[in-house]
Amino acid sequence: MKKLVAEVENLKAYYKVKGRILKAVDGVSLGLRDGEVLGIAGESGCGKSTLAMSLSGLFLPPLKYYGGKIKLKDIEISKMDRKLLRKNVLGKKISFIPQSAMNALNPTLKIRNFVIDVLKEHEPELSEEEIIDRVEERFDSLSLSKRVINSYPFELSGGMKQRVITVISTLMNPEILLADEPTSALDVSSQHQIIKLIKTLLERRIVKSVVFITHELPLLRHIADRIAIMYAGQIVERGTTSQIIFSPLHPYTKMLMSSIITPEKGMKGKELPVVSGSPPNLYEIVAGCRFAERCPYVTEECKINEIKFHKIGDREVRCLHPLTERNGINAAK
Amino acid sequence: MSPYFKYILGKLKWYVLIFFAALFLNFFLPRLIPGNPISALVAQMAGGGASSDVLNKLYNSYIHEFGLDHPWYVQFIDYVVKVFHGDLGTSFSLYPTKVNTILAQALPWTIALQVPSILLGWILGNILGALAAYKKGKFDGTLFPITLFVSSIPYFCFAIILLYLFGVILNILPIGGGYSMALTPTFSIVFLTDALKHYLLPFLSLLLVIIGGQAIGMREMSIYELNTDYVRYAKLLGVSDKKIIRYVFKNAMLPQITGLSISLGTMVGGALITEIVFSYPGIGTWLFNAIRQQDYPLIQGGTLVITISVLLANFLIDIVYGIVDPRIRASQLEE
Repeated sequence: MKKLVAEVENLKAYYKVKGRILKAVDGVSLGLRDGEVLGIAGESGCGKSTLAMSLSGLFLPPLKYYGGKIKLKDIEISKMDRKLLRKNVLGKKISFIPQSAMNALNPTLKIRNFVIDVLKEHEPELSEEEIIDRVEERFDSLSLSKRVINSYPFELSGGMKQRVITVISTLMNPEILLADEPTSALDVSSQHQIIKLIKTLLERRIVKSVVFITHELPLLRHIADRIAIMYAGQIVERGTTSQIIFSPLHPYTKMLMSSIITPEKGMKGKELPVVSGSPPNLYEIVAGCRFAERCPYVTEECKINEIKFHKIGDREVRCLHPLTERNGINAAK
Repeated sequence: MSPYFKYILGKLKWYVLIFFAALFLNFFLPRLIPGNPISALVAQMAGGGASSDVLNKLYNSYIHEFGLDHPWYVQFIDYVVKVFHGDLGTSFSLYPTKVNTILAQALPWTIALQVPSILLGWILGNILGALAAYKKGKFDGTLFPITLFVSSIPYFCFAIILLYLFGVILNILPIGGGYSMALTPTFSIVFLTDALKHYLLPFLSLLLVIIGGQAIGMREMSIYELNTDYVRYAKLLGVSDKKIIRYVFKNAMLPQITGLSISLGTMVGGALITEIVFSYPGIGTWLFNAIRQQDYPLIQGGTLVITISVLLANFLIDIVYGIVDPRIRASQLEE
């Protein structure tokens, strides 16, 4: 097994809004291995974007750190001084691709000037020419037009903007790339290009590992090595991509999979698959399994205690009644 | 043709159109005031004892002199032709003084009062607003209510409050005029300090109201910009606060530039009323007197000068806006 580049232990990050606390990330533990893409999937509002943000160690208000550890090799960044974090870690060791590339660039600043600002922050000894040379080389090597560098953001298409952001985020060869729904706002061919770009970055070891957050499970088939399913601020199931997609153990994972709309023949007449119910209120978390309200296999037992992870072979699931038999998995194994 | 030049040309077209509309209104609006200005003038000139025959003669000669015996369109054309020759006519109430002479005397006072107070008020207001948004907490908590209070008071009201406080109760500053009656305008130290004393109250009353209005707008804009995705992304890439504040300040300033061009007319109008409150010898006070005496040429001249300066200032703002906001230039390219 490859060595870990990052380890997250029981991370808690809550929003404090008007005296109320919203537990968006509530005790998440993850390991990220060298060279892998870890997919994180879940419905809107399950806390996956907050998780992406928190993994950077930068908790921007109203988000607040409430506990846990984020370890990169030898440094612990969750309690690091913000200035030091921004200077030494962000962009360099951990980088981020935001969800909305449309607005992620300052509209009145040329890409060129933004890139200069970013790189000067981390390597003040570089001259502007050196920076632009380096950026042009990087754009070239990833087959992006160099012309883009001299554009304003509004002169670029959505897909192009997202690719530009991906390249800017990885200019300093970060070890970890946090991609927060980088493809959600894009058309299919632009999605494809982003996936390809991220794969190229990994192959060339420009980035070592990627955390890829999305609500589109099928997309992860193309890029993720492992997948973690998130529900109501917690990870409910972890496994390899094929395990999660083809033999889900958690009823929620199965529900997510079955709600995917497929372009098959004769679908028009059929009823749309429905994900019934809605995610729980993260302000007031109920005792027991957080999915109990919506779960078709719920028993009284589920509603008593907080559900811990159960090991089933090499897999882990937060469920008392995992779908083992239905998937032909021997629970006793 | 460069796109920027095209942008300017497109704007210019509108300014010319607005200028002619203003010329038209300048001419007709004063004439809608009920009453006959010449009767008043004749009564004043002739004093009490003149016979009605003499009065009639005097009246007719004035009517002829001012061209009021022609139909309105002839008068209008005559007025427009004269304006383009730089002649604003003869004042009724101060006959035979030329309107040009009166305005030339008044204009420096108005410029000296308005340009510094509007510009300085705008700059200080924007800086304070941005600081309030960035610092939050106590600074914002103190500044915001004050600016809200100051900016919601009408110009003249604030002027009267200051005048009463400093001129009447504390009695440390003069209550009106541009300089003391005993002095004649020269560039001597005595005159300049005296003028400065008279300047302080009208200047402050304008400055504070303008700061208030601008600070509120800038605070809103800065708060909005500070929460945008690009600020978050820049932070996540490790860009320092100093640079991010620069981005935010510039982007929040852009609507403020438009805001300035929109509110310039109100500011100038407010400043003119402030002049009246302090009997400041600028265009506002003259205009006020002219309206009371139905002095058509002086009203026309005063409003024309104001129109031209507001249009010019707006045009300058448009030019600057096109330079600082790349999106404006781009949208011109598309057209």
